[in-house]
Amino acid sequence: MKTEGEGTAPARPRLFARKETRWIFLWLGGIAVLWGWDLLFLNPPAFALVRTALFNSLLASVLVVVFSMALGWASGLALYYLEERGKRNIHLAVTFVLNLLRSLPQIVGILLGYVLLTFLIVQDVLRSPFLQLVSMSAVVSLFVFLEVTDLIRERIAYYRSLDFFDAMICCGIPERRIINVEILRKNSLAHLVHKAVAVFGMAIFLQCSIDFIISVGLSTDMSSTNFPATLGSLLARMDSKQDILAISMVFSDISYWSSLFFRHLQGLNIAFMIMFTLACTYNVANGLVRRYHL
Amino acid sequence: MRRKTLEHIGSIAFVAAVFALLVVIQKSREIEAKSARIQVVAPYLNLPGVDFNNPRDRALFRETLNLFRPDSISANDSLLAAIETYRQAQFTDPRLKSDAGDRGLSWSVFWRLTGMYLQFVVVFAVVLGFTFYGAQSIALYRFVRLKQGRESYLEEFLLRVREWRASRGKGIGLSGVLSPLLKALVKAVAYAVLFSPAYVIGYSLKTSFETNSVLFMILLGIVSNGLLINYANKFYTLLVAEGRKGYVETALVKNLSGNYRWNDPDGISYLSILRLPRQFPGHVLQHIYLNARYQNFQTLKEQASFLITGLIIIEMALNIQGHLCYELLQNLLYRQYDVALVIIFGVFLLVKVTEILVDLQQHREELRYENRG
Amino acid sequence: MDGLSFDIRISADDKPLVSIRDFTLAQNQITLLLGESGIGKSLISRGVYGLLDPAELTVSVNNLPYPEYLLSQRVRGIQRAGFFVFQEPSSHLNPLVTLGDQLREGALAGASPGREVLRALWEGSAGQDLDSILAVYPKPYRPSGGEKQRILLGMALEKIDMLPPAKRAGPDELFVFDEPSGSLDNHYRDLFLTLLFDRFRRRPFTGLVITHDYSMISRIANSHSDLLDRVVFRELARRHGTLQVSDFQPGTYTGWVKSLLPLGALSQASRGQEPLLTIAPDVEVFGRRLVITKDPEGKVPTRLEVYPGSMVYVKAPSGTGKTTLVKRVMGLIHEGSIEAKLKNLQLTGATPRKFWQDRIWGKRMTMVFQHADEALNMQSTMRETLLGLPLRKPLDTDGIARLVGDLFDTAEAGEVLGKRVRFLSGGQKQRLNLLRSLALDTDVLILDEPLNGLDFDSATRVIAILDRKMKAGMGLLVISHNEEIFDALAGDTHTYYLHIRRDSDRPSY
Repeated sequence: MKTEGEGTAPARPRLFARKETRWIFLWLGGIAVLWGWDLLFLNPPAFALVRTALFNSLLASVLVVVFSMALGWASGLALYYLEERGKRNIHLAVTFVLNLLRSLPQIVGILLGYVLLTFLIVQDVLRSPFLQLVSMSAVVSLFVFLEVTDLIRERIAYYRSLDFFDAMICCGIPERRIINVEILRKNSLAHLVHKAVAVFGMAIFLQCSIDFIISVGLSTDMSSTNFPATLGSLLARMDSKQDILAISMVFSDISYWSSLFFRHLQGLNIAFMIMFTLACTYNVANGLVRRYHL
Repeated sequence: MRRKTLEHIGSIAFVAAVFALLVVIQKSREIEAKSARIQVVAPYLNLPGVDFNNPRDRALFRETLNLFRPDSISANDSLLAAIETYRQAQFTDPRLKSDAGDRGLSWSVFWRLTGMYLQFVVVFAVVLGFTFYGAQSIALYRFVRLKQGRESYLEEFLLRVREWRASRGKGIGLSGVLSPLLKALVKAVAYAVLFSPAYVIGYSLKTSFETNSVLFMILLGIVSNGLLINYANKFYTLLVAEGRKGYVETALVKNLSGNYRWNDPDGISYLSILRLPRQFPGHVLQHIYLNARYQNFQTLKEQASFLITGLIIIEMALNIQGHLCYELLQNLLYRQYDVALVIIFGVFLLVKVTEILVDLQQHREELRYENRG
Repeated sequence: MDGLSFDIRISADDKPLVSIRDFTLAQNQITLLLGESGIGKSLISRGVYGLLDPAELTVSVNNLPYPEYLLSQRVRGIQRAGFFVFQEPSSHLNPLVTLGDQLREGALAGASPGREVLRALWEGSAGQDLDSILAVYPKPYRPSGGEKQRILLGMALEKIDMLPPAKRAGPDELFVFDEPSGSLDNHYRDLFLTLLFDRFRRRPFTGLVITHDYSMISRIANSHSDLLDRVVFRELARRHGTLQVSDFQPGTYTGWVKSLLPLGALSQASRGQEPLLTIAPDVEVFGRRLVITKDPEGKVPTRLEVYPGSMVYVKAPSGTGKTTLVKRVMGLIHEGSIEAKLKNLQLTGATPRKFWQDRIWGKRMTMVFQHADEALNMQSTMRETLLGLPLRKPLDTDGIARLVGDLFDTAEAGEVLGKRVRFLSGGQKQRLNLLRSLALDTDVLILDEPLNGLDFDSATRVIAILDRKMKAGMGLLVISHNEEIFDALAGDTHTYYLHIRRDSDRPSY
């Protein structure tokens, strides 16, 4: 009846105690090693561009997380209060709109958002690169925040189903305190951090993808280079694409693989950073799930 | 279920109405803009003795305008620019070419799109089926390894190095020591592929393989964009959570097997993880899998949406001509928003139909398990 | 007396959870292991039975690392021949497999097809009740908690019936029952004990019954006195910082129960006063019509009245709706109809939420919920829990010390005040649960199973503090399955019965 298998002996070696911190350090270390190599073998202007692109992508993704958490928190609470206060029609209307948003594939929604952004840039409304980056992040967060909304609603619903909520209400503790502090801050922080990490990974993926796609341009009046440089847009440049295309040369000439790390560094750099960041984010999220039994 | 179905139908009808309105508005605006442009320049296009191809004639025309309307120099310049733009568009605008075919939404465009759409649906269905099955298989494999106490190949390698050193090479052989390291490397490469965006893999193989084929699209859809690995992880998390629940303990005290060794008589076989339907008779995993699978079914809706995102990225990023999403991008670029809206509506419909089917199946299962069936 | 003796150490992430030397189970006898909830009774028993996960906990049994202990002959034998009935029946049945199928898998596949054990446990119900229940998938409300508990107990009894005939217990025939009466009302608890002891008389085995329901002692002493020399009463408690098992004299409890008198010195004088809380006899909630009566037969609908300094006890079989009734009274459920009056405040289904929030909750009336694990915030410390109360005058350090000192010893209080609630034992949580409501000093206090999870000492202290509050003018409304205790404390005058009103007007009690 025991649960058994091979390797159940105690005392296994551990690299770091916590999986999530381990993978954060691995990511930092990986990027550091990569940049060390770039310092030696990538031309300085290209290296500067790569650094800028990574920084912009990370900044944009962090902004997506911030916007998504704010939107998710607000919409989650709004839906809760609408339901509790019996405002059925408004609740129905809001849920309907959110479900519509949910049914639209994220990339399509973001693409339409970028069409609008392009229009605003052409009209000279969004001038500064930082404002453009913020707007790009806002567009992405519109199609990602629903995951945070669902989490918040689920956590509130879970504690409502227990005596937790009623017991505190009976003690005269205000409802807003029960929800915002007792449920969300004290008992859902791990869940929210995990969701933030997941949203970060999703943001990196979606931003890189959309920036790559719009490399053909969304307007005949402007090119994609008018957007701030990100990993996706950098990968879409002709020189980076050539570097990625060069990988398939290895299938016909195996000895070519060594040249990849010297002659085709820019494209490989960016592709690796995207893939490595996504993999590390995934493992950080997993570490949190394991540690907090989410 | 009735409420959910009404909501689905309502949203389809709402979106269809909004899109139809947008198409109509867009078409009428295009016609208005075109006629407005023509109205401004038409009186000047066929002036006798003025050849706008000739720079001297253009300069003379400008000076004449400035002579007759000295107070509106910038308006005169704008008129000249408008005439130049109109003349250029006669050559460059694909919408005005004689062999351009149908521009904007027409019946021939609609039928062409329908063919692409059906192909898109088939690819979507195949990829969804394979990823749903694949994600569960990977998750089960991972879960069994967790129960065996063998999660990390790297840690297993380090452990075997210690054992090898302690036994001075007499116990475990070198191949036994290196085997987990090799598996760790294979896993790292697999992760690199599974987490890579589709366009990275697509471009990596573009010059060596036929990347425009439907088969390649299906393979790319399955292995890239993190789809398989993320949904395998979700199912794995469900298995782990269910494995901690009380009914598993009750199953164990009833002497169902808790042995997760590969291919032991009361253990788990590789085949049992892969074959359909998955069953683990006499083992607690049967209970765990049943519950995880029931909860996992709802994630199919989210998976469908994410999968479509991936397929759109693949078609757009790899510029696969003759495919639906490439058409979408082209129509956005050339401001044929009516066609773009129709394509987007088709994609939305596909997501909605998937949601409806999942909800229907979930409802059937709920009726049974909630003792209402 | 033969014995199974264990030295057990259990820790998680290097934090010690349980450490006990010489935990002994008397072979061929039934051990009744008492003690407050969360002290470690279940953890130790699971450790002995081989149910703990070595990946999650670091365990050693008799100095043997747990993975090796799991491979030992002793554990394999116990798991083959014995059975373990877990607490919390709701989570110990698979919601996606019918109850009938769950009763016939694994080792129970060879049990009697006639289901005599289950029919005995369903005694008093219609025959088709059992058959219809076996065809269902277990869900939160159907079958009820008590029915699920009976299913699990039935599994254990069927396993006992499958033991080969013998005059003495085999070394591995260990049957553990963890809080077997947790979800049962007294009728079914007594029925289970009868079925268990009948089997024990016919075919001895080694039994371990873990419980904080001390009233089981009375039942055994009154109805199974012939087995008193084969039932061992032991109590697990923390003394001087270490966990110890000591003998518990049944007379300590039975004598104490006999000495109980109705609480509330003001109860005589209160007749001249207005009641604090009045509830009209007819209540409707979730489509169920309930009626409050003064008689067990349910013939005399009566207005329920809670006077200052009195304790009112409401009795009903499990599943009738006692908890639902008090939640309705507290305004936590808005559906249905009720007529209640709290002093001069009318409380009906139409009373707006804001009124409850501003005038009632935590100010005039409050409630102690049954499950401290759910009612408290596991992530707050004990101090934060008490400081977070919306009192007119916030508690200072002295105030907290005075409050906590009512139910915690000084040394214990110092240890637990800064601890997060999730690290407290079940008994400590329940005491905190009570203290939180008592600190509010409301006019009326509703208590749902106030002695849940408490050991004998703590239970006596709780009763003492309730007595003090009543003498200060507080009115109490209690629901509890500890009938022999609260029958004595409330007295006939303040005992009411709750019935489901059926069309034929036959009582359900």
